[in-house]
Amino acid sequence: MTDISMHLATDEIELWAQGLLPAARAMHLADCSLCRVEAERERKIILELVQLPKFAPSAGFADRVMAKVRVATPSGDWMA
Amino acid sequence: MFSLLYRMVRDRALAEDLAQETFIKVLNGIKSYRPEFKFSSWIFKIANNAAIDHLRRKSIDTLSLDGSPTAETPEQMRATSLQLGDRTESPLDEALSRELGTAIERAISRLRPEYRSCILLRHVEGYSYEEIADTLELPLGTVKTYIHRARNELRGYLEDRRD
Repeated sequence: MTDISMHLATDEIELWAQGLLPAARAMHLADCSLCRVEAERERKIILELVQLPKFAPSAGFADRVMAKVRVATPSGDWMA
Repeated sequence: MFSLLYRMVRDRALAEDLAQETFIKVLNGIKSYRPEFKFSSWIFKIANNAAIDHLRRKSIDTLSLDGSPTAETPEQMRATSLQLGDRTESPLDEALSRELGTAIERAISRLRPEYRSCILLRHVEGYSYEEIADTLELPLGTVKTYIHRARNELRGYLEDRRD
């Protein structure tokens, strides 16, 4: 059993920021201002990171790639 | 995978070249794929290696203010020299500052490439620590340390900006 007075580890702070930390460990935050400040700072940066947009390559990218790939024919030869 | 490459090299055209190189390696080397390895991790590994290789080459090439070390003529030296006074934004620079110009994107660009890969795989791609360790062929403890340090550095950069 984990001691409730033990400071949260980095992994636990990340779990807390994602709402996944077991309640028994999350209770530590109520009593520890040190961990609370650290957890809140981590939560902010994690939130900024997970909200970053995904980028896509320009139109025609897949065609350009496939044009350069060698594909094996049934006879075992390679074709571009 | 394109997002990772783009954030690693911060150049859309170059990221597309590296993505193309990655897919060609994947498709041409499909026979060397080991099924016990997650397929997407294998692709990310090849992509990340391509980006890191590029950044290493670039760090060598961009040290000279007098132009590329491979330049052979005065014209080539001028064309490749670093213009410190030139602050005009090209259309490409404008696109870059629109897409990667936010404070958090700029902070990510200041991280060491190894930290950048880890933090992007963790929080943008949603990989677990174990998957990152497999993908980047790093010990699990190293991945945890890199991610923790990366978040600390990001916080530092963002706090500096806000001060």
